[in-house]
Amino acid sequence: MAKTYDCLFKLLLIGDSGVGKTSILFRFSEDAFNISFISTIGIDFKIRTIDLDGKKVKLQIWDTAGQERFRTITTAYYRGSMGIMLVYDVTNEKSFENIKNWIRNIEENASADVEKMILGNKCDLDSQRQVSKERGEQLAIEYQIKFVETSAKDSLNVEYAFYTLARDIKAKMEKKQKEASNPSGGRSGVHKPTLNDARKPVTWLSRCSVL
Amino acid sequence: MMDEDFPTDFQVIVVGTGMVESIVAAACSRIGKNVLHMDSSDHYGGLWASYNFEGLQKFIKEVNSDPDRQKQVYNLSEKWFIEKESAQGETTDENKGEPRKVWSQADFAAEYRKFNIDTTPKLLFSRGPLVELLISSNIARYAEFRCVTRVLTWLNDQLMPVPCSRADVFATEAVGIVEKRMLMKMLTSIVGYSEEEMNNEFKDWNNKTLKEYLTHKGLTPNLIHYILYAIAGGNNSLPCLEGVKECKKFLMSLGRYGNTPFLWPMYGSGELPQCFCRLCAVFGGVYCLNRPIDKVETKTVDEGKTVVTIDSKSKKLNCDHLVIGVHECPEELMSSEPAESCDISKAVFVTNGTIMASEKEPLTLLRFPPLADDDNAVTVLEVGPATGSCPKGLFVVYFITKKTKDAESDLKPYAERIFDMSGGDQTAATDKPKCLWSLFYNVKDTSSPVSSVVDNVHVCSGPDAGLDFDRAVEQAEQIFKKICPGEEFLPRAPNPEEIVFEDDVTHGPEFQREQDEEAEPKE
Repeated sequence: MAKTYDCLFKLLLIGDSGVGKTSILFRFSEDAFNISFISTIGIDFKIRTIDLDGKKVKLQIWDTAGQERFRTITTAYYRGSMGIMLVYDVTNEKSFENIKNWIRNIEENASADVEKMILGNKCDLDSQRQVSKERGEQLAIEYQIKFVETSAKDSLNVEYAFYTLARDIKAKMEKKQKEASNPSGGRSGVHKPTLNDARKPVTWLSRCSVL
Repeated sequence: MMDEDFPTDFQVIVVGTGMVESIVAAACSRIGKNVLHMDSSDHYGGLWASYNFEGLQKFIKEVNSDPDRQKQVYNLSEKWFIEKESAQGETTDENKGEPRKVWSQADFAAEYRKFNIDTTPKLLFSRGPLVELLISSNIARYAEFRCVTRVLTWLNDQLMPVPCSRADVFATEAVGIVEKRMLMKMLTSIVGYSEEEMNNEFKDWNNKTLKEYLTHKGLTPNLIHYILYAIAGGNNSLPCLEGVKECKKFLMSLGRYGNTPFLWPMYGSGELPQCFCRLCAVFGGVYCLNRPIDKVETKTVDEGKTVVTIDSKSKKLNCDHLVIGVHECPEELMSSEPAESCDISKAVFVTNGTIMASEKEPLTLLRFPPLADDDNAVTVLEVGPATGSCPKGLFVVYFITKKTKDAESDLKPYAERIFDMSGGDQTAATDKPKCLWSLFYNVKDTSSPVSSVVDNVHVCSGPDAGLDFDRAVEQAEQIFKKICPGEEFLPRAPNPEEIVFEDDVTHGPEFQREQDEEAEPKE
């Protein structure tokens, strides 16, 4: 199968239940918003390939599959992630306060140089707002992370957020490649077992038969 | 905050996040059962977990201070071979061009996150049931693997590579040309036997050992060593037919992913139960850690149907089926204690180099023959930084055998053959890697199946001493079939890549079909 992209970024969505992670994912990957869509059943990850400075970048964006509800995200979820969207709900104070806990969780489990961004979602619901934009900005400054308020419903800043995160990852990657004298990277030899691998029944015999 | 919205009624409740429990949870959730999966501890995996260095220290402390946990894990003995702090001025020697860093205990603490140390390290046979299951269920996408790069054995007082593939046999200089022919002939015939031919060929060998058979076939002591200890992973008393089956399993898995028949999970075996948990969650399974259970009750309602009720954090949780790890299961629910069997002796070492130099970072399976007559064979796994098991410059080495005396007495003589365990200068040139830290412990073998006194309570076994996960997969499937008779075991999960939206690519017909399926109402 021909490779239809230049690089693949694994991104994660993290934040409390109900802040709109899945809605953000659907807005970005399918340009759709479905208000009746409450749970995350069956959603594993979504893919969208974007164009960044002439490069095809495939974004593989993973959802928490509901495991955030009782703080039981597996360590395996964080493996190999290159960017993380930390999402809170501007109409829910608690979800904002919990961002700090999620950052601690990321520091414990994700790679040390993972790119992060904070999203204050549901900014269309201004009448129910509990967290001001300034507080969001302040938190972002404290952790030196980029921040934007989004609305998955009104399709506000969702594109911008993913493009920004992807651009930051790409910049970091290119900087690393420049610094490294050997650009081959350390992940050669990692396997994901697939059906495409050789499936001959007995390859032991199929080599040379000189003896 | 957790309890107000905690649901109380489920079709299946799974208690414990070990390998068997997690596979059952995934399988039930996959076909639409409403599943709650919980664990009394704050992490996934139970006795199958991997820990970073800090987590491992916590585990040791917990076991040492809790007599209840010492029923499962005992004889813990941890030892440092390095200084607490790096000596002043003695840096990593990069400017002197010396290859070896001088490690201190403080360095381990600083880099604790880079360690992933397994309590149940295991390999996957490339064509074994777990690899097939991961592929057919599409759970493979949650995990990554590395190939084991070499199989070694201990022969004539030194480490020797085991020729396992045809090319290896051809290339090895360790055996002469006549022996090569003999070895080829034997391996080729083992691979070629069908089940029927095998039973036929070995019908007179029922009460005899593989060693007797190989001797009878005229194989030299070297070849017997390779086949019996390294390929079959056996000892002198390994029954003939069982040994031949082990050999065949090994040989059949060659040539799929790498030069050996084995895969090792990136970041350790403890990742694998989590992959099944992820699938369970994706299909709606509810997860809850840190949730001990206080009591399990069963109540017969109309038409002889039994409902199981669990008391947990003063909440009553009801289910039609309870799946429970043997360590979490109240004794009165088990029809018998697990059959008395030989416990397991284990050890973990962190070293500053590989046991045998190699061009690229090696990933090694070493099979030790018994060094003394009443010993058991010892399995050794050496994993390096590329597997996500430890920081650069270090290796993690696991030792596993059946218990004879205690873990330290059983395994230390073997470790001393391949490590320098004297402490001292880490930069000194030695032919063996320095052992920097060690941990010995015994684990109760709870791998034999236990039945429950109630039909809809299913007890999952603990980890066995074997090299692979095959028994866990087999048991999980059996339990699933009891809960969901007639249902498919982990059918393929739809692949999100089949629902790709791209900026400027027109959607193909396959995508259209997937979208239609997706559009159907879900619960």
